[in-house]
Amino acid sequence: MSKDFEQQLRDVLRPVEPEEGFEQRVMARIAGERSRARSKVTRWVSVALAASAAFAAILGTHEWQVRREEQGLEARKQLIEALRLTGEKLDVAYQAVNRESSPPTDVDGSGA
Amino acid sequence: MNAFIKHSLILLGALSLCTSATAAEGQLKLPEFGGLADKASEVVTITLDPALLGLAARFLDPAKPEDAAVREAIVGIKGIYVRSYKFDEDFAYPRADVDSVRKQLTAPGWQRLVEVRSRKQQQNVDIYILVEQERANGLAIIASQPREFTIVNIVGSIDMRKLHELEGQFGIPKLELEQKNEKNEQKK
Repeated sequence: MSKDFEQQLRDVLRPVEPEEGFEQRVMARIAGERSRARSKVTRWVSVALAASAAFAAILGTHEWQVRREEQGLEARKQLIEALRLTGEKLDVAYQAVNRESSPPTDVDGSGA
Repeated sequence: MNAFIKHSLILLGALSLCTSATAAEGQLKLPEFGGLADKASEVVTITLDPALLGLAARFLDPAKPEDAAVREAIVGIKGIYVRSYKFDEDFAYPRADVDSVRKQLTAPGWQRLVEVRSRKQQQNVDIYILVEQERANGLAIIASQPREFTIVNIVGSIDMRKLHELEGQFGIPKLELEQKNEKNEQKK
């Protein structure tokens, strides 16, 4: 019984020559696994990069809008200030002309 | 001469002109006034090119009457440039710089509409318009006093009637041109 068992073990564990192309198949499988793992990493990196780019774009757009709004409000302020100054100087001219046209006058024409 | 000035000012108030000229026309070359900012007690430097004017217009609320009036007033305007300096002492600014702007206004097309020389107040105000093909394509105001000077250059077609509508808003003084004009007409 024990001899049979020993024999069976020997038969099972006897060195067996690999089939032809076994090494190539193993190497190909390993390479495939590696490339699959690499492509998984690449996919994750791509997703992370795309997400970062989208986030940066959203942030950039928001920043641009904030800056644009600041510029717009500043431009509006300047426009109103410019119109105020223009009106003020036109008023000075108008008042001077008005004073000149109705005596007594305190505007001295210097050849004008 | 008085009548000429008065009528000129009324004409200025009634100017409602349009133009297809480029922004560069009517734009004065304003000096840098480099060192003046340190000497001045108050500085106003406004440079509104067509892009900035457009941007400013977008921030005027059409629902607000005063903003709508400003929007209307700047239709046709392609640029507004203002340099205004106030000082704590007399003639701290180089009058040559101001004169250099005045010189530019001797170029063909520019016409002096109003000239005010007040010895008592030592105040000079000159108002010029750029007339091209019978159309006003620019406005220049040079106002100087011993302690301040202001140069205003508006490029493009200027609808003074619309500008007039802004009086009393945003601190823009009331010119009361029409009322005074009516009074003058009544006097006559």
